[in-house]
Amino acid sequence: MSMKEQYGQQKDSYHSKIMAKSIAIFVVCVILTLICLVPIYILIVNSTHAHMDLAQNPSRFFFGKSLGANIKTLMNDLPADAGKAAKRVAQQYSSAFSLGRGYLNSLIIAGFSTLLTVFFSAMTAYGLTVYDFKLSGAAYTFIIGVMMIPVQVSSAGFVRFMYSLHLINSFIPLIVPAIAAPAVIFFMVSYMKSSFPLEIVEASRIDGCGEFRTFITIAIPMMKPAIAVQAIFAFVSNWNNYYTQNMILKNADYATVPIMVSKVLAFDKNIDNGVNYLCITLSIIPIVVVYFILSKFIIAGVALGGVKE
Amino acid sequence: MASAAQRRIKSISYAKYGYMFIAPFFLVYCFFQIWPLIYTFILSFKGNQANNAAFVGMENYSTILFGKGSSAGAAATHAEFAKALGNTFILWFGNFIPQILLSLLLAVWFTDAKVKLPGKGFFKIVMYMPNIITAASVAALYVNLFGDSKNYFINATLLNMHLVSEPIKFVTDPVNSKIMVMFIQTWLWFGNTMIMLMSGIMGISPSLFEAADIDGANSTQQFFKITLPLLQPIMVYTLVTSMIGGLQMFDLPYLFHNGANFSKELETVAVYIYYNFNKGTVEQASYGYAGAASIIIFAITAVLGSITFYMNRDKDAIAKKKQRKKAEKQMKAKMKQGGLTI
Amino acid sequence: MSKLTRTLALLATLAMASSAFVACGGGSESSSSTPAANNSSSAAPADNGGDASDAGDAGDASDAGDAGDAGDAGDTSDAGDAGDAGDAGSSSAAVNLPDDDDTLTIVCWTDADLANMFDQYSGAGTPVYQNCGSNGTEASTQYATYLNSGDDVDLFVAEAGWILNYINDDSMSAPLSDLGFTADDYKDAYQYTVEIGTDNNGVLKAASWQAAAGGYAYNTTLAEQYLGVTSPEDMQAKIGSWDDFAATAEELKTASEGKVTMAATIGGLWQAFSTAKNAAWVDGTTIKTDVAKEFTDMVKGYVDNGYVNPSIEQWTTDWTNAGLNGETLGYFYSTWCLGEGAQLEQNGGSDGNWNIVVGPQEFFWGGSWLCVSPNCNSATPAADFVRQFTVDAATMEEYALYSGDFVNNKVAMDKIVADKSNSNPLLGGQDQFAVLSEVASGIKMSDSITKYDQNLKDTFLTTLKENISEDTDTIINKFTEQAKADNPDLT
Repeated sequence: MSMKEQYGQQKDSYHSKIMAKSIAIFVVCVILTLICLVPIYILIVNSTHAHMDLAQNPSRFFFGKSLGANIKTLMNDLPADAGKAAKRVAQQYSSAFSLGRGYLNSLIIAGFSTLLTVFFSAMTAYGLTVYDFKLSGAAYTFIIGVMMIPVQVSSAGFVRFMYSLHLINSFIPLIVPAIAAPAVIFFMVSYMKSSFPLEIVEASRIDGCGEFRTFITIAIPMMKPAIAVQAIFAFVSNWNNYYTQNMILKNADYATVPIMVSKVLAFDKNIDNGVNYLCITLSIIPIVVVYFILSKFIIAGVALGGVKE
Repeated sequence: MASAAQRRIKSISYAKYGYMFIAPFFLVYCFFQIWPLIYTFILSFKGNQANNAAFVGMENYSTILFGKGSSAGAAATHAEFAKALGNTFILWFGNFIPQILLSLLLAVWFTDAKVKLPGKGFFKIVMYMPNIITAASVAALYVNLFGDSKNYFINATLLNMHLVSEPIKFVTDPVNSKIMVMFIQTWLWFGNTMIMLMSGIMGISPSLFEAADIDGANSTQQFFKITLPLLQPIMVYTLVTSMIGGLQMFDLPYLFHNGANFSKELETVAVYIYYNFNKGTVEQASYGYAGAASIIIFAITAVLGSITFYMNRDKDAIAKKKQRKKAEKQMKAKMKQGGLTI
Repeated sequence: MSKLTRTLALLATLAMASSAFVACGGGSESSSSTPAANNSSSAAPADNGGDASDAGDAGDASDAGDAGDAGDAGDTSDAGDAGDAGDAGSSSAAVNLPDDDDTLTIVCWTDADLANMFDQYSGAGTPVYQNCGSNGTEASTQYATYLNSGDDVDLFVAEAGWILNYINDDSMSAPLSDLGFTADDYKDAYQYTVEIGTDNNGVLKAASWQAAAGGYAYNTTLAEQYLGVTSPEDMQAKIGSWDDFAATAEELKTASEGKVTMAATIGGLWQAFSTAKNAAWVDGTTIKTDVAKEFTDMVKGYVDNGYVNPSIEQWTTDWTNAGLNGETLGYFYSTWCLGEGAQLEQNGGSDGNWNIVVGPQEFFWGGSWLCVSPNCNSATPAADFVRQFTVDAATMEEYALYSGDFVNNKVAMDKIVADKSNSNPLLGGQDQFAVLSEVASGIKMSDSITKYDQNLKDTFLTTLKENISEDTDTIINKFTEQAKADNPDLT
């Protein structure tokens, strides 16, 4: 065996080893992908079946024909000759799960919370890094210290307090507290320390620019990447914040998407499984679609979060 | 050389702006967090149900922690809280371990330049996807798919395929339901952890791996000798955030049930607190127990938090100490040299 | 700039907070002196320290706008004051609540029932419902927060299992006399509904529109196939007592080779078994478990013998499908399950091959009461609504025929039965009212109802189902321990 042949063989076995490994990894990834997607697929399939079909055989893998009927039920838009049972179901589901209203409420809460969170966190972080004042060290230590406190710790007092302020069934307790987001401030402070030159503040002062204007016209544009990352996280976590929303919002007119889903889940009368699945589908699909559109950006943002924190 | 403007700026004190910039945070935080926390603290010293206005001192704590109190159900209250605390840690542990192992494995694979993996970007996107879905919807989805009887998708399918003879109780069985919650929690979070760890691995200088390759280290050795040690900070971060998340685990355990009430087998501390203060009218609720449980969780968080804080700070301090020692040594050496020259 | 506005907003909020505290401290002395605007958002009670008693001033605020009776309206919602409460009970039929909102808002979780009622409603104003909770248990936990939120609420619906928590708290409910109703208006009502609607001070605070008698509805096809039963009378003879019920269950099991159970759920059996015993869950502060023990003994036997499937939960898909797929011979139903479109129909009754009988024991299930919110600002529509569905025999009869609900008026029900004007297509033309009117007049619930009922019943049934293979004493013990942990008041 010549040297060349031997080398070639080794190279081949090396390559086939890599190949085998790649294939194994690929298979694992496909399985995990299926685990992520199949529940969603089954969910969508089930929402296209009628209650009676699901009662006879709940194991459905292919699309049914009742999606339109389920949607009509959910929108309480039944044909005039519909039976009373169908009307009851439609009545119940449409008053508990009104998609437009739920999405609007969730958007208002998550949108404003996100704006407040990123704006005021950037502002606090700016105050802590740019200015040198007596209590800045203490303030920063405090923020790091309270960063870990879970919301549940103060929730009993929070609800009683909001109750006494008549802020039940109001968006204020869900939006205004977003101003104080210690973890976001922590992230922004470390971001500013690494990539915000203080000289620029000095320069703008020489140009006669006021402090707030400097912050808004110079600092905020420079912090855009950090703000974008935190805005994504803040939006997702506020959108999904079932715990606090459920404590504060008792009026169906203010219900958000997570609350509506939990309401549908809690029905004990007039249950229609097809419509049940449809409600869950409608609560998930728009978010998933938006996610897939923005996914590259979001994944990059998560990765940035991993580097900074 | 300084211009007039520069001189003027130097003479202005900017401290007040610092206070103004951080004031909104502190005002809001005090109003919506600190005062409710104090309020909760006060509630923890008051009675429960009909006795809600009375000051009872430490009784709620002694009841919850040791089962010693004047209430007839003191022992049972303690048992329930202890179980809730246990469940919290079991559920957290049971999702953190598989989650970090799976994420680490995937992160290493995805960052391995030698592995040819088509569709890597797609896999990443799909695996992160569960993380953005509302936990309430996820709970609803899994309850509807994994219901206990033949009337639900998974059991019906298993029965149709003759894989089981009796439906599996995924929702009401104490063990199965915990496994389900751990699985769902892992399902929700492994993509997120994976991407964090990937960015950590990609932050490691490639020259280290190249050097290891040249030295003939295989990928297992590289993983244990290079990747893992250098990933430590990000692993600690993941651990801490996951721990905090675990302590406040609410949506899934609370919504994963069949029938009108949440499952006591999945009751976490967050559920315990919520249930006790949210029972209806003031005379129905147990604000005292809810308050005491909250303060206990606060204490646990504070201890865990200060441990990590201490660990992080210590490292800096140790590094600085080392530097100082090194500098002193150099000084001494120089002085020695100097002494010699003198 | 924006920071400044924010700061100002915050300061305003702080000021609001402190004024809330001050308002509480002021208590009820300020009753008629506050010229408060009477819109509902400013009228919510300031229940701060947890004392139910300081919520009294809330009523004042909402009433103050109604110049005519500002003073005494405050009194009626002054909590814990027996003297005032007595006054209210005997007061004349004057309407004491403001009447300046055309929208009658009813807070409930039973929107399907209310939609039926709205179809029939012919009084003033526009009735709307506001769902608060998806089931009775959830509603009982959410109402307290909702009712004092300041959002519009005129009437609210409560259930027997927890109504006492709300009618005994004057910050939550106002006397019916504030809408002009007296005890005399309810002389034709089934007495137990009046007794339950009366609070600890003897004030009438809630009126029920239904008398929730129950019966055993069974699938006639299955009954004929397996038991050879062809008429309701024969069926009743076969299940006239619990012993007969068990014997028939055995017969059914043998005939159907274990495919069909006699009862759908343990929950249903419990309702049929326990309610006629008229035994309270709680005596003073002590939990009573005699009935629970007896039931546990019985139902353990049922489960061992396969007469009931313990893993089926009441009101779930499993429960519905048991009827649809012919896995149960029958259900224990309350009257409100029997109307067109209700549970009977949903659980497989649409073919009309079901019949109803009284069953082994006379029982009743649930029932919904209308309570008046102290923040009610649509007095006329509210009074019209309460009158139409709980007082006026003619309109109640119409509603009974329309909805299939057993209304809370003996005159109306007797008339329907006598006229034979009701025939239920789901029951093959049978008149459920004829079967159940006896049961309804026999209901005694007043001695046995406590404010812990919902919680204790739920806890008991959950404990029973989870530990069905344990022995009776262990189950009862586990239940009482859990119940005491949930309710520190109890021993």
